[in-house]
Amino acid sequence: MKSREQEYKEIFIAEALEYFDALNRHISTLEREPESEETLAEIFRLLHNLKANSKAIGYLQISDVSHKLETAFSLIRNKELSFSDEVVKVLFDGIDLLGELIHNVDNPGYGEPDPLLLRNLDIIVENLSDSTIELAKVQKYNTSKNLALSELIYIQIKKLDHMMNLVGELMIDRDRVLSISRELNNDELKNVSSHLYRITEELQYSVMDARLVNIGSLFNKFPRIVRDVASAEGKQVNLELQGHDIQIDRNILQIMADSLLHLVRNAITHGLEKPEERETKGKSRVGVLRLTAQSDRENVLLRLQDDGRGIDLKLVKRAAVEKQLISADAARGMADNEVLSLLFEPGFSTAREVTEFSGRGVGLDVVKNAIDSIGGRINVSSEKGKGTTFSLQLPSSIAVKGALLFEVDSIYFAIPLIHTDQVVSLDKDELHEVGGVLIANLQGETVTVVYLNELLNAPEGEMDLGDKSRLKGQVQNIIIVSYNNRKLGLIVDKLYRQQDIVVKPLSKPLDQIDIYGGVTLLGTGKVCLVLDVPAITRYFVHRKQV
Amino acid sequence: MPEPADAQPVAAKAEPTTEKQDSTTSETVREQVNTEMVHLIVFRLGTEEYAIRIDQVKEVTVTPGITRMPRTPDFVKGVANIRGDIIAIIDLEKRFNIRPNPEKAELTTSYTLVVEADDYSIGVDVKEVPQSLNLALTKIDKAPSFLQDVSVSENFIEGIAKTDNRLIIVLDMHKILTQDEVSQLPNL
Repeated sequence: MKSREQEYKEIFIAEALEYFDALNRHISTLEREPESEETLAEIFRLLHNLKANSKAIGYLQISDVSHKLETAFSLIRNKELSFSDEVVKVLFDGIDLLGELIHNVDNPGYGEPDPLLLRNLDIIVENLSDSTIELAKVQKYNTSKNLALSELIYIQIKKLDHMMNLVGELMIDRDRVLSISRELNNDELKNVSSHLYRITEELQYSVMDARLVNIGSLFNKFPRIVRDVASAEGKQVNLELQGHDIQIDRNILQIMADSLLHLVRNAITHGLEKPEERETKGKSRVGVLRLTAQSDRENVLLRLQDDGRGIDLKLVKRAAVEKQLISADAARGMADNEVLSLLFEPGFSTAREVTEFSGRGVGLDVVKNAIDSIGGRINVSSEKGKGTTFSLQLPSSIAVKGALLFEVDSIYFAIPLIHTDQVVSLDKDELHEVGGVLIANLQGETVTVVYLNELLNAPEGEMDLGDKSRLKGQVQNIIIVSYNNRKLGLIVDKLYRQQDIVVKPLSKPLDQIDIYGGVTLLGTGKVCLVLDVPAITRYFVHRKQV
Repeated sequence: MPEPADAQPVAAKAEPTTEKQDSTTSETVREQVNTEMVHLIVFRLGTEEYAIRIDQVKEVTVTPGITRMPRTPDFVKGVANIRGDIIAIIDLEKRFNIRPNPEKAELTTSYTLVVEADDYSIGVDVKEVPQSLNLALTKIDKAPSFLQDVSVSENFIEGIAKTDNRLIIVLDMHKILTQDEVSQLPNL
């Protein structure tokens, strides 16, 4: 793969050539209609952008020539220079020179631009009133230029979505073909299908790669937003950004954009204190807001950290009790991370009186829904007086996911790996019946465990999630899933393997049933149901309360 | 003697020429309307015959393996892979509370009508091989009076077809798919 720098360069060249083409078009128009203000303004804009872009990337000759042309056109606009034949010729030459420079950006043998031409440009720019000064004749270099089209094309994201879907379908069929060829045990077929496997895999990665954008494209919008929010709130904020170069699927970034904006606003409005308040607490007057991106195997980790006042767990608890999200008894025994998970409860977000004091909770459920929709995870940790950190774990691609396959009551299921913490085997005796649920002790941590067969298949009236006798066999395979700072163990009948799956959304009318995130086809042609961990967790909590 | 008798009606017919002409054309038009045919796929639910217009049916296939989906309404039999598309298979007997025909209970193969809605497909599982039937449109009674007495599913019945002593209930699957199924599904 090309280096990032090379990629930027190519994008610059492609854009610059587009500007060059547009300039040629507009100046031709201008020659015919010298009075057209609109055309002039457009030429101005193009030259200005070209100047800025080339300067930023370090092509000083281009920015220099652009600057001269820009000056010439500004003189024309101010009627200080007439758009006469002689001037027109120099301007055309100048624009040609731009094109030549852009084409030869990477050509070390190109040398210097024609000094006569540069002098002509200087003459028309500097000796505005005196048009008698001789303009040198510039020998017109190769007029028969090759017609070349840009190396870059714009493409609608919709088209890439369609390609991704097709690749998904292809992968499903490929797995099927592979499995059949193994069954038939025909060498030639096996060769072909393994070749097919490699090609589809490469195709998959190519399409996924084409959809990647730099996180920087979103991050770059934040300095301005932070400045605006901070100045409106009377706060001083130093925004630190890190990880511009991390790449992520364009659609995922688009879905996350609003959530991130929300979190950033929240952090400034409610998290960071006013300068005076910070001073009395012995902190620097300027609050620090750190937004970082990190690539972690198949996922991207976004982290938003502030050094503000942190979340007051007591206030969160009190609000949750007032809002009747939990009972006062339950609140007393709650672990800290469970209390924090209350912030994401839909009912909590309207608790206005809390947000005034503790500062958090406005619409966090919306953020969580957005993350759930792309199969990501969000975590929050906070220390009172020291600050709050939100960690967002996002898949780098929507369609293809690593998943864990298993079986419950002869039905194949999959759970995306992003939601699984670990897999354990426990003896039945290590599970304890407590208060209508099963509890297991995992390395010192108490985790609620639920028999998936009971949760999914028992008639709703007869469901008993706290009855060990309903378990089959002595040793239980348990997948520990994690959602909203909360762990839950799912007992499955048979545990299979880890596999990349293409999740197909359920078509109507089944798309209304939210415990399923979709379906996938296994190599055997069997349909496998993809469980939605957030919804399963909600369903379990809901059952427990009934 | 027979000659004038024969000639009489011919002459009588020839008399009001213009009027007669008109009525024949309108007769032809009506004839055409009468013979406008409708093509139905007929299947059994319980002991009665039901039908769907063929343009609403994408294909008829032997029901492939169905994967049950826990925690869906009982009229959803599950999902099946039909030519790479994973679609929901529904049981209209359960949906309409139709008592299944006990004689057919032991049948192991069943058939799936793949019905196409605007943007998705759904499979309707039936016990016996569906039959195709061509019928004059006029044989379908669009608004049988009894419909006023039927409380459920009245919207989904397009009409009642009567032919050769058979009574066939013609369903409008689009209506079933658009308004009903979705609201029937619980949000867990």
